[in-house]
Amino acid sequence: MNGYISVMLNKLNRQEALRYMGCGDAVPDEKMLAMLEECEAALLAVIKPCCIYHVFDIEDTEDGVAVCGTSLVLTGRSVREHLAGCTKAVLMAATLSAHAEKVIRRYEATDMTRAVIADSLASAAVEQVCDKAEEEITREFSRYHRTWRFSPGYGDLPLDIQGSFLDVLQAPKRIGLSATQSDILIPRKSVTAVIGLSENEIPKGRRGCSECNMKEVCAFRKKGDHCGI
Amino acid sequence: MGFRELLNKKEFVILDGAMGTMLQAKGLKMGETPEVMNIEKPEWLLDIHRQYAEAGSDIVYANTFGGNRHKLAKCGYSVQQLISEGIKLARKAVEGYDTLVALDIGSIGQMLEPTGTLTFEEAYDIFKEMIIAGKDADLIVLETMTDLYELKAGILAAKENSDLPIMCTMTFEQNMRTFTGVDISAMCLTAEGLGVDALGVNCSLGPKELYPVVEKICKWTTLPVVVKPNAGLPDPVTNEYNCSAEEFAEFAENLIPLGIKVIGGCCGTDPSYIAALKKMLDGKKYVQRNVHIPAVCCSPVETVVIDQPRIIGERINPTGKKRFKQALLEGDIDYILGQAIEQINAGADILDVNVGLPAIDEKAMMVKAVKALQGVCDVPLQLDSTIPEVMEAALRVYNGKPIVNSVNAEEKSLVTVLPLVKKYGAAVVGLTLDENGIPKTADERFRLAKKILDRAMAIGIRKEDVYIDCLTLTASAEQENVMQTVNAVRRVKEELGLRTVLGVSNISFGLPSREIVNHNFLMMCLTSGLDLPIMNPNIDSMTATVRAYKLLTNIDKNSVDFIAHYGGDNSTPVQKKEKKSEMDLPFAIENGLKGEGAEITAKLLETTDSMTIINEMLVPALDKAGEQFEKGKIFLPQLIQTAGVAQACFEVIKQKMLAEGGSSVSKGKIILATVKGDIHDIGKNIVKVLLENYGYDVIDLGKDVDYQTVVDAAIENDVHLIGLSALMTTTLVSMEETIKLLRANNVDCKVMVGGAVVTPDYAEQIGADYYSKDAKQSVDIAREFFGN
Repeated sequence: MNGYISVMLNKLNRQEALRYMGCGDAVPDEKMLAMLEECEAALLAVIKPCCIYHVFDIEDTEDGVAVCGTSLVLTGRSVREHLAGCTKAVLMAATLSAHAEKVIRRYEATDMTRAVIADSLASAAVEQVCDKAEEEITREFSRYHRTWRFSPGYGDLPLDIQGSFLDVLQAPKRIGLSATQSDILIPRKSVTAVIGLSENEIPKGRRGCSECNMKEVCAFRKKGDHCGI
Repeated sequence: MGFRELLNKKEFVILDGAMGTMLQAKGLKMGETPEVMNIEKPEWLLDIHRQYAEAGSDIVYANTFGGNRHKLAKCGYSVQQLISEGIKLARKAVEGYDTLVALDIGSIGQMLEPTGTLTFEEAYDIFKEMIIAGKDADLIVLETMTDLYELKAGILAAKENSDLPIMCTMTFEQNMRTFTGVDISAMCLTAEGLGVDALGVNCSLGPKELYPVVEKICKWTTLPVVVKPNAGLPDPVTNEYNCSAEEFAEFAENLIPLGIKVIGGCCGTDPSYIAALKKMLDGKKYVQRNVHIPAVCCSPVETVVIDQPRIIGERINPTGKKRFKQALLEGDIDYILGQAIEQINAGADILDVNVGLPAIDEKAMMVKAVKALQGVCDVPLQLDSTIPEVMEAALRVYNGKPIVNSVNAEEKSLVTVLPLVKKYGAAVVGLTLDENGIPKTADERFRLAKKILDRAMAIGIRKEDVYIDCLTLTASAEQENVMQTVNAVRRVKEELGLRTVLGVSNISFGLPSREIVNHNFLMMCLTSGLDLPIMNPNIDSMTATVRAYKLLTNIDKNSVDFIAHYGGDNSTPVQKKEKKSEMDLPFAIENGLKGEGAEITAKLLETTDSMTIINEMLVPALDKAGEQFEKGKIFLPQLIQTAGVAQACFEVIKQKMLAEGGSSVSKGKIILATVKGDIHDIGKNIVKVLLENYGYDVIDLGKDVDYQTVVDAAIENDVHLIGLSALMTTTLVSMEETIKLLRANNVDCKVMVGGAVVTPDYAEQIGADYYSKDAKQSVDIAREFFGN
């Protein structure tokens, strides 16, 4: 099964963007608010957020979790644990489109403050896109229990599967999303993730900082905070 | 029969259908490399091609779509092997049929600069390799492209490395644009300009949904139009396409009156679709199109038709501008981008780009500037250089259809510039001067305009692509000749039917109140038929003149544009000024007031030495902000904002020092780079702003910077502090490699590192001298290092 979700965003998560900028839960002053509004409007005017997904049977093999009918194998201990007990997995790829980048680049040339704000808003936006897409996917697969979104680079799931992951979804052709040789997603404000589907209830507690490869350097953790995953 | 003959002789040319769909039906897994099947499953390909030939394809695409070095990197076979084998198989399969074999080239699978990291030149090389490997094909097809820049690299590679005919198709979405925002008109203008044989659309939608796309393509090209649609739209649940072969042919039939010539199928189609097409086309006649392409230039996303006055912004030009020259000497691209955006915001429709300065490598700077400008601007560019090599380099890397500024009626100019204009499909400004200089009379200038036009048309440049500049002379020196220019503009417009262009500001040189002279002269010229004033759009009386002209000549219907710009003008500038005078510099900085900060600085400079302003006002204000940032009282955006104001203040100081002939303020030189492979440079840019505002000279090498580039820059510029940034775990290793290479070359320098994934431990482990946890700390490090 194969899906394309065109996501409509009417507003961006400013609170989340402020957190990315290190402002925590501080209430933005009038000037900051005005800039947030301006950058938000600039982004909303051009972005074309969308998400593609495909559900596959998965199989636990010696090399890792094999995505059936494809050449993709999800390797590493953490994704195996993440998908334990699941018989299917949804592979998804979401993007804000390349237009977000141009807005940020333009601000970078003229006003770094707005560039940082737009960049953070765009980061928040792609999470919103994922959330909305996940809602739809959840509706479609409501008879299954599902795991949370697990992305290449989490735990020991290597980032270098990014290219194959995208190829399996035909993401370059379908939504113009590709990866560089350093496995950076282009357009940058994009996310790939796998959601496990299980007939049985999935035990809780399979998420949190201990599993995260950013745990040593995470700005949220340093403040005793949490990114929300 | 070759492809070109086919186009001429047959009513319609039939292509093949999907390759991927057919391969998957035979057992290809998702994510596998289809081209590998050329070696491992040749019988699959022989069968597929033969089926298409049997169904009636005049052309089959060899299985070479993704046969580029990037996609084949891990497959164990070379580009040469898989492509030549692919062509051979197709050739063998269609033996006995009157069917041509196309070298099929799809997107590389890596995004090009500026969004991605693949350079235009690398893309060219990748395509070149494929084209050489596929030399035995009958034609070259570039398809499923979504980025005009990538398509241009492919067309140039094909043109310069092969004599085969070229057909190209891009993939458009329902919003009539590609993923990257490319407009249909931009594809048509650019590809036809570069000399392809046929162009159109493939993939993305079915023949029904593609109707408006095809309709628009047919209006924007004189070439044969190609349509290769999907078998409808995929069902979200079953992934099956919703169009049967018969329906497909039925919808395709509706496209015939639009004037299409070449048709086939893309994803989801199979030989039955091609057979249905053949049946439907039997006895049908090709519908000749009567297309007229207007005078026009474009970027990928913006097409500017010269059907009314369009403003060409003149500010990207160092002539007579010390600050601009300084920026060129320092390689300060951001300054140029700032000038571009300011002009666009003021109303420029097109930007002239001139970076000629004897002391610099103009060609390298031109390429850098054009690439950077098209990364942030949507408006088309007018490339301006007197050196042919610079012009050609700019034409190569320009994304779209540009204007060349300029050719003149001198023999030498005609023979060097016009072939470039033709090769790259540009428009050109022709200056009415020759070996004998600028003729005095309108008649003579008209004669030269005619000469330029004739010579351009003789080598195949369209009449619409020649714009004539009748040249403005200064009124103070040659008052009696002003009307000669105005009259020449009228004659060129009326008698030759050409678009006219004119730099207007020169008219007032040496006179008082230049603005008054300029905008009146502008109005006279507009009334006489000037289409493209080259001017400073930041001066409102000039832009207002153009807007008023458009209103008065009924171009700006219902005065919409005019009212949008001047309708809400009830500002009270006097009050504003009073407010400003109460303010001091620290207040402006703390409150992020850029314009005010700059004004106060300018005022202060009348009485105060610049170093005093920097050390006693700017730096303490920045320190205070830095301190508050560390204490968590203000946050990153506010910190950057204070730095932004300081930057504006510095800009004023810099201008003054340059005007007085002094060198710029510098407390020390620092190199900054986002390491190879990494493209997240916002962190590095924040650091840059802060360092600059503490008076340091930052040499910004940008993102995805080669190890060697850092080493070379350090040696060349005698820099001893280097800042490296990385944001990805995968690119941390590049940080280590850069440091290793610096050490191996005995570069006398300290290295500071930072970025989201860098830790103090890691910094130490890779041999960095400093770890900087944020932008503020990088300033502390610089101060410690330079002892200031």
